[in-house]
Amino acid sequence: MKIWPSLRRWARRLAALAALAAPAHGEDVLYLYIWNSYLSEDTVRRFESQCRCRVNQDYYSDNEEMLAKLDAGATGYDLLVPTGYAVETLLRKNALRPLDRTKLPKLANLKSDFREPWYDPGLRYTVPYATTVTLLGYNATRLAQLGLPTDSWALIFEPRHLEKLKGRVTVLNSQRELMAAAMKYLGHSVQETDPARWDEAKRLILRAKPYWATFSNSTYIKDLALGNIWVAHGYSSDMYRAQQDALEAGRPFAIDFRTPKEGAVLAVDSFVLHQGGRRPDLAHRFIDFMLDGANAADVSNLIGAGNPNAAAMPHIRPEIAGHRGIFPPPEELRRLEMLRDFDPKTRRLLSRMWTEIKVR
Amino acid sequence: MKRGAPGLWAAALSVYAFLYVPLAIVVLFSFNDSMLSAEWVGFTTRWYATLFADQQMLDAAANSLFIALSAASLSTVLGTMAGLAMARRRSAWLGGLPLLVLGPVAMPELLLGVSLLLFFRQVLDLTLGLLSILIAHVTFSIGFVAVVVRSSLAMLDESIFEAARDLGASSWQTFRHVTLPLIRPAVLAGFLMSFTLSIDDFVITFFVAGVGVTTLPLQIYSLIKVAVTPEINAVSTLLMALTLTLIALAAKLAPDALKGRL
Amino acid sequence: MIEPRHRQRAAASRGSPNGWLLGAPPAVFLLVFFLAPALLMVGASFQEPGEFGGLAPLLQDGRLNLSLESYRFFFGDRIYAEIFLRSFIVAAATTLICLMLAYPLALAIAQSAKRRRDLLVLLVILPFASNFLIRIYAWIVLLGPAGLLYTPGAVIAGMVYVHLPFMVLPLYANLEKHDPALLEAAQDLGAGRWTRFRRITLPLSLPGVWAGSALVFIPVLGMFAVPELLGGTRDMLIGNLIKEQFLDNRDWPLGASLSILLTVGVLLLAGLSAWSARPRRSVP
Repeated sequence: MKIWPSLRRWARRLAALAALAAPAHGEDVLYLYIWNSYLSEDTVRRFESQCRCRVNQDYYSDNEEMLAKLDAGATGYDLLVPTGYAVETLLRKNALRPLDRTKLPKLANLKSDFREPWYDPGLRYTVPYATTVTLLGYNATRLAQLGLPTDSWALIFEPRHLEKLKGRVTVLNSQRELMAAAMKYLGHSVQETDPARWDEAKRLILRAKPYWATFSNSTYIKDLALGNIWVAHGYSSDMYRAQQDALEAGRPFAIDFRTPKEGAVLAVDSFVLHQGGRRPDLAHRFIDFMLDGANAADVSNLIGAGNPNAAAMPHIRPEIAGHRGIFPPPEELRRLEMLRDFDPKTRRLLSRMWTEIKVR
Repeated sequence: MKRGAPGLWAAALSVYAFLYVPLAIVVLFSFNDSMLSAEWVGFTTRWYATLFADQQMLDAAANSLFIALSAASLSTVLGTMAGLAMARRRSAWLGGLPLLVLGPVAMPELLLGVSLLLFFRQVLDLTLGLLSILIAHVTFSIGFVAVVVRSSLAMLDESIFEAARDLGASSWQTFRHVTLPLIRPAVLAGFLMSFTLSIDDFVITFFVAGVGVTTLPLQIYSLIKVAVTPEINAVSTLLMALTLTLIALAAKLAPDALKGRL
Repeated sequence: MIEPRHRQRAAASRGSPNGWLLGAPPAVFLLVFFLAPALLMVGASFQEPGEFGGLAPLLQDGRLNLSLESYRFFFGDRIYAEIFLRSFIVAAATTLICLMLAYPLALAIAQSAKRRRDLLVLLVILPFASNFLIRIYAWIVLLGPAGLLYTPGAVIAGMVYVHLPFMVLPLYANLEKHDPALLEAAQDLGAGRWTRFRRITLPLSLPGVWAGSALVFIPVLGMFAVPELLGGTRDMLIGNLIKEQFLDNRDWPLGASLSILLTVGVLLLAGLSAWSARPRRSVP
């Protein structure tokens, strides 16, 4: 009977650990709920020594995961980094705390293009930190050989191009993103809800679908770098990753990416204060610290994200700061649109259509 | 005992191969001198160096191992009890036990995760942490243990128990010296299944994990959009080596328990 | 050795102490941590989706906000039934292939020398102590160059790989207890290897086959990661549909009602098969 003493030992350790797991009151800890690799270790360490506090990061890899978790009642986070449409959702649920702008003197560093987002005009709740464009990434070597254009959504929607790419194309596994691409190609807004135009987009997608390899939200990074896939619909930061991976591994081809001329989706991720946070004081200090150009450059240098901070630009590696896919020039920026949440009824109808697209 | 037919062993070995070929790739690429796990470039141990400098990843791995061992032990005990109870003659409320036990197996993990989080936060007002993860893992593992134990009891021969009773054994003695050794393979199988279910769970853990508590799958999934580097191959390789060592150690330290003489 | 059902039941009951007390701890645990949370979700399936995800408030303007809308949405449309059917076919195929692969392996382990069995069982489970995502990426590396990636075949291969131990272990737990004397006696009576398997080993192993099949078939139905990562443009299963409702779509009531329909369907099926497979065997 050696089982009981050992079970008791486990139980004791468990109780101890459960106690440890509860956030310790009194200690100065800032809890972040954030995307992985949005902050460099070095930056975090510098902030920790400056504020004499500890920074704890928990990660999510999807806005929807984060929202679902908060919806079900998770609390304890001081700062979140949601994307625009998710900010609106959180705002409408009264889940965010207004910012005290007197504590954020470095707000002036932000580019003027990012000061009046539709979800938070005048930045009363949000401080933009990173931007991404949903665009086309491609195997530049292959596409040059095939003589295909890389500056238009036609590449993933037109059978005359797709015939040369059969089984070598992936598109995002996201109803909103794929519909947005189709709408842009058809010359409509990404917020379009007119049933006739939805139908038009659906037909466009179904016509192209037999040529696509799969719907993919993450594996396309590896597939592009491996050479399995030649064209992918996805996020600029992912395409940058694939480009660097292929370069580092010495692949016999180059990966590149650009925004289609018809326009595309822009995503802006911002720091926001969650209502459930215990340390708004530390959170404000952290945001202002991150507004400093050298620190704000982190996210661009680490993952190839675009940057809304003007002071960050000199600190960003030139091959990133100079890439049109990551920092769209003004005429391209004007053609970008941010996604905005639909109401529940429209969401259900879109989901029904999406299911049909997936099953057909 | 006679050895099985050579054909049987050939079949068994090819199934082992099926299990181990992807694994060989995982281990091999943990020593590969390339970010991109595509082809062999050269031998390196730098991914292990990266891993040992990555405190967050190591903490997550330690949490995962601890939770998996605790959850597997707890669900093995509860699941074995449920399996034994299910094998008994029908009684009014035991009729519901199979449904209760199979329910968490049948329920899609997303729903299980969301429902547990709602329940923990809005009904119990429990602070999320290791405990909430442990409870969730036990909930979905019990069924696996119970089903195996139940099916193995269906095989037992009544005369064994009669013999034990004829020799004057109490029902507890019969259980400990007769039933338990007989169902030992099922209990071991249940433990191993619970262990792998727990150590690899992402969806449910994502929802019930608390602030500042992370497990290895959570840590790895957060990298999916950033860089799935061979560091993850390295931590996987390490975890397997550790699991093997732990079980070998357990076999050495507590040979009685493992041989069924609990 | 082979007994009518009622005597086996009696045997099992005498082999364990304190009768129904054994069932109480797991039952209480599951009542609290499974049934109570599950009932919350049953309630949610009758609620309305919140304006911005989650659930709409239950009481609005003094009126109770409950409806059958989610269920009506599901039953009013053939496409969802089609996805359910397709998922059941994938689950059945996965279970069958798992069974065919697991049986020889479990049998070989059960017939090996006693001191080696634990090690062989451990070897089955060891690959699963590594990480799911990294194993799937290994499959992408394996299948990609062969042109097999993003096909229904890749989904089944992935499903089989992920669930194989849950077939091997229950089968092994059963086969390990077969009495070799029985096979030897049959051999002495002139029964060939195949006859011995078909008339003795296989019928005796049926409880293990059922247990393993349940533990493979049921989880496969809710799985979404494998079709998402290895499947092509048409491989949408129930798991994916449910995931989309909870995440992309933030339509909890529809997600909850789909999940509940699936759970109830599976439990009914399990009950039905347990009933139809209740032992009616006698010595042939």
